[in-house]
Amino acid sequence: MSARRIQAIARKEYYHLIRDFRSLYLAFIIPLLLILLFGYALSLDVEHIPTAVVDHDRTPESRDFVRRLDASVYFDVVAHPPSTAALAELLDRNRILVGVVIPPGWGAGLKADRAAPLQVVIDGSDPNTAGNTRAFITAFIAQANEKNLLDFLNRQGREPLRPPVEGRFRVWFNEDLESRNFIVPGIIAVIIMIVGALLTSLVIAREYENGTMETIRSLPVGAGEFLLGKAIPYFFITLIDVLVAVLMGQVLFGIVMKSSFWLMILASTVYILVALGTGLLISVKTRSQLVANQLAVLVTYLPSLLLSDFVFPQQNMPPVLQAVSKLVPATYYIDILNGLYLRSLSFGQLWPSFLMLALMAALIGALNIRALRREGL
Amino acid sequence: MKWLRVRELVRKEFIQLFRDRQNRPLLVVAPLVQMILFGYVVTTDVRDIRVAVIDRSRTPESRRLIDAFDGNATFRVTHVLQDPRQLDGLLLQRRVDLGLEVPPDFSTRLRGGRTAEVQILVDGSMSNMAAVRIAYSASVLDAFNSQLLREIHRRRIEFGEIDGRVRTWYNPNLDSQYYYVPGIVAFLVMLLSLLFTSMAVVREKEAGTMEQLIVTPLTAGEFILGKTIPFILIAQAQMVMVVLFARLWFRVPMAGSAFLLLVSSSFFLLSTLGIGLLISTVSRTQQQAMMTNFFFILPFFMLSGFVFPIANMPALVQWLTHVNPLSHFLVIIRGVFLKGVGFSILWPQFLELGVIGGLVFAAAVGRFRKQLE
Repeated sequence: MSARRIQAIARKEYYHLIRDFRSLYLAFIIPLLLILLFGYALSLDVEHIPTAVVDHDRTPESRDFVRRLDASVYFDVVAHPPSTAALAELLDRNRILVGVVIPPGWGAGLKADRAAPLQVVIDGSDPNTAGNTRAFITAFIAQANEKNLLDFLNRQGREPLRPPVEGRFRVWFNEDLESRNFIVPGIIAVIIMIVGALLTSLVIAREYENGTMETIRSLPVGAGEFLLGKAIPYFFITLIDVLVAVLMGQVLFGIVMKSSFWLMILASTVYILVALGTGLLISVKTRSQLVANQLAVLVTYLPSLLLSDFVFPQQNMPPVLQAVSKLVPATYYIDILNGLYLRSLSFGQLWPSFLMLALMAALIGALNIRALRREGL
Repeated sequence: MKWLRVRELVRKEFIQLFRDRQNRPLLVVAPLVQMILFGYVVTTDVRDIRVAVIDRSRTPESRRLIDAFDGNATFRVTHVLQDPRQLDGLLLQRRVDLGLEVPPDFSTRLRGGRTAEVQILVDGSMSNMAAVRIAYSASVLDAFNSQLLREIHRRRIEFGEIDGRVRTWYNPNLDSQYYYVPGIVAFLVMLLSLLFTSMAVVREKEAGTMEQLIVTPLTAGEFILGKTIPFILIAQAQMVMVVLFARLWFRVPMAGSAFLLLVSSSFFLLSTLGIGLLISTVSRTQQQAMMTNFFFILPFFMLSGFVFPIANMPALVQWLTHVNPLSHFLVIIRGVFLKGVGFSILWPQFLELGVIGGLVFAAAVGRFRKQLE
């Protein structure tokens, strides 16, 4: 292992990068774009659901119900179609996600202390939004009923005037319930895969395609030296991306790490090594930039987005995919990020995930060396 | 325009694509992996809420409250604790989703007709799911209250109770596969047509064979056709494969017309192939082309409503989704699969797709010609 040879390979890769100014520039722009998108535009919090109400009743009671529905953060009454058919068309055209039909005589029934049926139609095509919507409308009606019951008892002049049990909800770890607070840290894992693994997946394949691999074989450079030299420039690019992401999260969105910054850097360093190692391994094995790129999307980008517990909970997955998700490095990195950003955990609580990442980095490093040795390096 | 020349170029492209032994399985495996991932993983459904309970009251009343949670299908009491600090630990380690703390004076307050407060600690880290857990807990408490009030006043109570009859249309069982699996068609077609087209052109530049092509009698139009036709064919083949897999494996019902789907994908391909060609005119290396592709693919994907609902976005960004061809194609695919709607409902999407595609493709061809000459 000679530092000079590593430096020489790194310098060659560095020149490739500098010459290819746009790849470099995109390696910084894409993370910025992702952070801005997730910080400003993308939210998983279902609020202000576009709602239409067909009020066949037109009494003070029905108007009061609609007003309270509109006042809740979850529902925005955006349309008052004249008929159920018009409501169905609004659903077909994606203009609304919920329709409420208040039948004639509804308010009179309420006043006469009779059960008052109400029809609610939810667009179920997006099951995630529809599930939330169903929970919110059910809770809304349950709350209205509790109030109606208390009103009834009060009118009869009976105690109690207040509900017997009251729930005091306290939210921990993400006190303002904003999806941005867990997505913006988590997106760092995706950024590292895009920049680290996708960029490096091309670098050795390029040598094969251009025929320069033959030249490298004839040089006195070892597998480890070659690997380190190739990885070093990309390591710094990715690390800078991580720092930029952390800084932007803090400055633009006020997402502050509750635990140690240096633990986060340590975890990122190990995870970046895993990402670079995976990219380079794909590159050696495929020898074609197009194939390498496709494969990198499949084995690095998609799993780190979908299987890592990033936005889709692992507890919902079928057992086979839960087992697969344990092999995805991003699972452990996301666990560390979640612990450091939201739960203020310490190394004492997070060491198993650190250990797994370190083992993965070592394994991928070894696989790379073996693959390169076979190639005659 | 000589069809012979176009045909030969298409043939060369196919040979290059399939000569590479790794490429063949990738064209089949990639869609399958994506379908399985999106089909089984992409759900934030709240099915199983794990609750830890601290019962400081230990009375029949407090046990009834706990049973009200445990008896509900979505809740599951997993821990009964003595010490609040244990609860902190369980929440920190993500072993439970909710902590329910019943105060010591719970039953005395209830019997005295005063409101008893119970504390509910919620792990808010995944805020979207936390909001649903809170709504479910509130519903359980409301139902518990109503039942208690009825029992306290033993006479029959008939009050104006709102009977919400909630029905779910298009996807009554809220099956996430019905929503995401058809959407993969759009994602795959985009990935293939953008990435492969631009990489195929840039590969010629990188390998230096572009110069050779320029000296052949091949015209710019023929070159563009030759480079795009293979990917149109492969994209359509992948689409048929995904649709078949969705129908047979995931049993996704298809309410509308398959023909409309095929037509709409051609509209969509116009814009993605156009962008692919544009990228190839501004890229010198495959690495550059790939990064530029991602610069388009990521925002297209994120701002399409594929995973992140457009309704949740700020108004300005919602407006931006109109220039995203993927968002229109998704509306069409989902409309055809789930809602069974036809052209009379979907024509605005077709119109917007057609306009975007026409403009982009024309721009791409124009730029491409200029560069070749």
